[in-house]
Amino acid sequence: MSSHSFKRRRLSHSTHNAVPGAQIAEKNGSTMNLHLESPHESMPMKATQNSEVPAVSTKRQGTHNVTAELALASGVYKSSYFKLQMDELLSELRPNYDRHVAKLQGTLHQLKSIIEHIPEKPPQSAWEAEKELRSKHGITVPFPEPRPDRETKYPFTYAKPTNVNVVGSLSLQTGAKSSIPLMVDLAVTMPSAIFQEKDYINYRFFHKRAYYIATIAAGIKAAAGLDLHVKFALQDGDSLRPVILIEPITSTKSGNMSSKLRIRVITAIEETLFPVSRTIPLRNNIRQGAADSSISERATPVYNASLRSEATVALYHKYIHSNIRKCESFKDACILGRAWLQQRGFGSSYQSGGLGGFEWTALMSLLLEGGGPNGKPVLLKSYSSYQLFKATLQFLAGRDLTNPLALFIADLSFPGGSPVLYDGKRGLNILYKMTLWSYALLRREADVTVRMLNESRDDNFDKVFILKANEPLLRFDRLIELPALSSGSSLQDLQSQNMIHEVLVRALGDRAGLVYLRGCVTEPWPVDTRQNCKTAPGHLVVGLALDAENATRVVDHGPAAEHKDEAASFRSFWGEKAELRRFKDGSIRESLVWLDLATAPSIINQILSYILKRHFNYTDFDIKIVGDEFDETLRNNGDGVVSYSSPPFQKIHDAFNSLQRSVQDMDGVPLTTRHLAPADPLLRYTALRLKSAPNVPCGPVDIVLQFESSARWPDDLVAIQMTKLAFLVKIGDYLQSSGAAHACKTGLEDVSSRILNTAFLDITHSSNVLFRLRIHHDREQLLLERHLKDRDGHPSMRQELAYALSEYKRQFVQAPRLTQAIRTLCTRFPLLSPTIRLVKHWFSQHLLTGQIREETVELLVVRVFTQPYPWGTPSSIMTGFLRTLQLIARWDWQQEALIVDFGTLDKAAVEVIQTRFSAWRKIDPAMNTVSLFVASDLDPDGVTWTQYEQPSKVVAARMCTLAKASMAMLRDHGYGFDTTELFRTSLAPYDFIIKLRSKLLYEITTSPTTFNLADRREKLQASGHAVVQSFAHDLRACYSPNILFFHSEMNPGVIAGLWNPQAVRAKGWTLKMAYSTSLTKLEDAEDNDQVVINRPAILNEISRLGSFMIDSIELHGTDKNLT
Amino acid sequence: MKKDLEVAGYAVLPLQFPKTSSAKAATHYMYLRAHEPRIPDEDTPRSMFIVNVPIDTTETHLRHLFGTQLAAGRVERVHFESVPTKKNQAALPQANVGGGGSKAKKRKRVTADELESQLEEIALPAVWDRPLQKSGAHAVVVFVDQPSMEASLKAARKAARKAVSGSKKIVWGEGLDEDRVPALGLERYLFHSQARYPSRGELLRTVNDFMTVFEQVAESRKREAARKAQEPDEDGFVTVTSGPKLADATHEDEARELIEKQKKKQEGLDDFYRFQSREKRKERQHELLRKFDEDKKKLADLKRRKGKFAPE
Repeated sequence: MSSHSFKRRRLSHSTHNAVPGAQIAEKNGSTMNLHLESPHESMPMKATQNSEVPAVSTKRQGTHNVTAELALASGVYKSSYFKLQMDELLSELRPNYDRHVAKLQGTLHQLKSIIEHIPEKPPQSAWEAEKELRSKHGITVPFPEPRPDRETKYPFTYAKPTNVNVVGSLSLQTGAKSSIPLMVDLAVTMPSAIFQEKDYINYRFFHKRAYYIATIAAGIKAAAGLDLHVKFALQDGDSLRPVILIEPITSTKSGNMSSKLRIRVITAIEETLFPVSRTIPLRNNIRQGAADSSISERATPVYNASLRSEATVALYHKYIHSNIRKCESFKDACILGRAWLQQRGFGSSYQSGGLGGFEWTALMSLLLEGGGPNGKPVLLKSYSSYQLFKATLQFLAGRDLTNPLALFIADLSFPGGSPVLYDGKRGLNILYKMTLWSYALLRREADVTVRMLNESRDDNFDKVFILKANEPLLRFDRLIELPALSSGSSLQDLQSQNMIHEVLVRALGDRAGLVYLRGCVTEPWPVDTRQNCKTAPGHLVVGLALDAENATRVVDHGPAAEHKDEAASFRSFWGEKAELRRFKDGSIRESLVWLDLATAPSIINQILSYILKRHFNYTDFDIKIVGDEFDETLRNNGDGVVSYSSPPFQKIHDAFNSLQRSVQDMDGVPLTTRHLAPADPLLRYTALRLKSAPNVPCGPVDIVLQFESSARWPDDLVAIQMTKLAFLVKIGDYLQSSGAAHACKTGLEDVSSRILNTAFLDITHSSNVLFRLRIHHDREQLLLERHLKDRDGHPSMRQELAYALSEYKRQFVQAPRLTQAIRTLCTRFPLLSPTIRLVKHWFSQHLLTGQIREETVELLVVRVFTQPYPWGTPSSIMTGFLRTLQLIARWDWQQEALIVDFGTLDKAAVEVIQTRFSAWRKIDPAMNTVSLFVASDLDPDGVTWTQYEQPSKVVAARMCTLAKASMAMLRDHGYGFDTTELFRTSLAPYDFIIKLRSKLLYEITTSPTTFNLADRREKLQASGHAVVQSFAHDLRACYSPNILFFHSEMNPGVIAGLWNPQAVRAKGWTLKMAYSTSLTKLEDAEDNDQVVINRPAILNEISRLGSFMIDSIELHGTDKNLT
Repeated sequence: MKKDLEVAGYAVLPLQFPKTSSAKAATHYMYLRAHEPRIPDEDTPRSMFIVNVPIDTTETHLRHLFGTQLAAGRVERVHFESVPTKKNQAALPQANVGGGGSKAKKRKRVTADELESQLEEIALPAVWDRPLQKSGAHAVVVFVDQPSMEASLKAARKAARKAVSGSKKIVWGEGLDEDRVPALGLERYLFHSQARYPSRGELLRTVNDFMTVFEQVAESRKREAARKAQEPDEDGFVTVTSGPKLADATHEDEARELIEKQKKKQEGLDDFYRFQSREKRKERQHELLRKFDEDKKKLADLKRRKGKFAPE
């Protein structure tokens, strides 16, 4: 270990002299300045001793650069790579306090002196005070509801503040950069003299506070020379506590403040002004309408905490500051926490969950002192920032705080119904702004993150900190938008939200794992108007996380009839929907029966609209539910089938099982069957289309037959194909004679090569399913590999062998394996099958299906289901589908392999796959044969489904562009977006469009057609789709890689083409040009060997090839002048 | 007089594609010259090399072109070949689409005797009624004699001059009897959908023919090998071999297993000496350092790609 420690010493030594250390010393110095200059210094900033500064900073730097090996060895970080990324993130997120302070100092001092010089005002009545401010200063006092009226007796006074200080993240340096502007809190401590003893009841404190704030606003407004906007806003969305928001005027850049900064003037009171016992959660402090004693006795925890938090501003500032000094990685852990919260949409305000940066910091501070079992601290000050972060999350995930936790105090009881982490020393429940639903969401997120951090296989850094996890459409399975009547009082809003939440939770029961509500945020308003909530009708958004198993249940069982009380409550809750029913087990129960029809809206939808109408009088017109459209799209385009367990899938399965039995005991075939394996999307519940035209059997469904091994097979690749052919004929004979099959036909494929599988057997099963059977012979692989090893082969022959080997693996090894695996997953995740099918529809709509194998698409979706982080497994088609699009949009396929977990993927496997991926990129850096790389634990090769330009670079890029565009649309339109837009494709980007006569193709599908085939008059029937496919195949064979052709089953009338830009450019003529060319200049033939691709002639050839099938060829862009 | 239309020594022959229902008329350019392969054979002097034949070219088309349209020589036979591209296209069995089984080159033993070539002749029934050529494909046209070839080349040059001056263009496939080549379009695909399911008898006949010859080949090979084993080599020695060769697949497995076993044996006493464990520790440390460097590189790479390292 000696070399190791030496190394460390050297490293840490070098940083002693490094510049960052000096910068930090400076930084601390300048922040300190700001506070030393304040005359009424009561804040702990004074405590920062000059001598200590350099010591702290060097120590910090030292630990900062501990070599990653040590860090890893002692388990301080998840992995060295994780640590490196985290350092990078922290340095990116740490605001440049130096710069901010320099910019702000002037403004802050100015503000401070303005506030301190506002003249005192004699006591006035509420009415007088309001009138004076309005007429003299043009300021409307932002009284919270209920506003004081003429009867209000208590006097309103303004006196010089006890002190004015900067508090919060700027001075503590715990902030993190983000898209929202950095907020600087200027706390004005109101003198105790202006309050009376009983001011804590009935909003009296808050009314006086509002007057105080308004007077300060008037003072700031009146002061000359400030280039700033003054507005009112709500502190943490709390209507009791309006604050002054000071913004730079964006038009003039001359101001000292940058547009990324906001100053907020908040108020504070002396800690001892109101006794703590008055504001403990169980007290009631709103005693209006005292006639009804039962109401007046109800505890007002939120009101109390709101009041108390005014008194604890300084206390928490001091407390957090002392912790920062005690624990060196505290600040960094705060930044991590903030980043984590922000990515999940949490913030300090009520509307965004009530847990923001400040609460996180306070929470960590408390956990440094207690919170663990036996009152032991959860965090230790020697922890690294990562450990602090992770342990805090573990605490949140593990300890259910709806069962209250009070620190440093005993014998305190709490009203139930919200999470409590009560800080006994400062007398505040720091989670007082959290509702049941935001807390449930927080715990869910914390739990997922802890699991992500514990996972040893993946690093997950990206998903913990970088990925934005709070896109509602990706997070929730259903979104409901309700018009909300904002009362202007956050207490009342909370109450009504609570009611809705309660009803929804009860109505949905185990169908939903989470019911999350989000109100609308009050925007800052100008100081001369009243806060106007009526003009902009707000709305309430409810997000549901469904339980995939229960969400589609048709019948709900209520309490048994003999339980009178419960039954009565059930009835009163559900109204006429509740019915008394006798069930199979003999019990008589209250129950609910929902409509289960393809035409009816989803059951969740039915429940929501019924219960919201019943309890809150919302009409169907008011309620907007997002999420069902995706199920609808699938039903309309996937032959009416949504669930994997629906009859059409079942029918194919039954047919397969019966065929399997017939094949197992086949006689008349010289070898015995080992295994008949399914290898088709139809047999793994992932085929989009299930039905074909009326007279045509469904299929073909690929299946693979393997015989018991035998030494009698020939040892030659061509002879093996011939032997297979003979076997197929025999099997066909048997199946037909035994009656298991209606008809059997032996067909040929890939005849151009003699070593590829050339024969298959089409079996029309008696239940009208068409199976396509191929024989798997495992010696083929061995022979192919051996021939490949021979060095003396001709390159083209080696290529053919390599192709044959990859085809062999795909058809006979991977396809059955994948089918088996996905089939299992589909039964485990009921939504996997519908999601895959909808994603296939998307690919098909965008004409990508001819270029990208459907197996690749399936693997993408499987990844979303088995590696769902940072969310849980999708439990609706919407989330599954949109997350798949997001995965594609974020996938940097040129640099990253996509690794899919089928259940046995471990770290070693990931490493093997990564090595293969980099090897492929090294062999083929231009990505001519492999562009996408999709591996799994079943298939570490990763190119089974994507080799040989499936898809090519251009198509892969197009796929990503389309997905990105979809995600951008989602971001811009939110839940108001139109689902059909996602599936609409534009044909404009293509160079030319071949329009086929779809009517003609349809006719040949439905009725046999007579054609003159070289004098033989025959009745022929073929599927129109197969004809289009053959045509497209011919086109590709003739023109690849110089033209890309796009077509899809869903859009049978269209084949779109794209010229390869390489070929369109003029080039010197060579023999190796694999396309039809024309000379650029015909007239002067001297030394002219420049040629370009001959587009008119090629289009003419295509037209000849398609002849009457083609209706027209449409040309776009530069090709237009070709017509 | 105008110079001949020529590119890199090839005569350029413009061919007029007539207007169709969905595309307007266009001019296709075919490039011709006398055939000069690297290894000439007896047919070379009377062969012409053509570059960029239209995709629907058949032997009939070329016979018609040279025999009737240019009226300068009779064609004996035509070989088509596609252009090998840089990209892996040759690996895709698409060249000569539906040519009824291209001539797949045989593996190994280039000493192909008659039987083996006979084996190659046995092809499965054709699934397409007419082959297509890859765009830009080449063809070698063998004329009945050298003068025919030379005359044809001359005629082509003349026709090209005429075409450029606009007096007369050669129209592709003009005057070709429609019955002589199968139609394209829907009929082609309908025929294919039928022809890919050959009759049972036809299939079995092909398979039987093939297997019979295949067995004969195997038999004769065996005999040949036995004979060779008996014959002394030039130094007069007879190589004595016993048992099957190790190259056999089953033996490969066995050999591999043996190596594995050997390896396992060598393991075992790894932590016995102090220096061993010390070395091991050192190695582990190096490994960690190496990994750390790798991670650093990875991070730098990531930063370069994504620019900033910040939450979205």
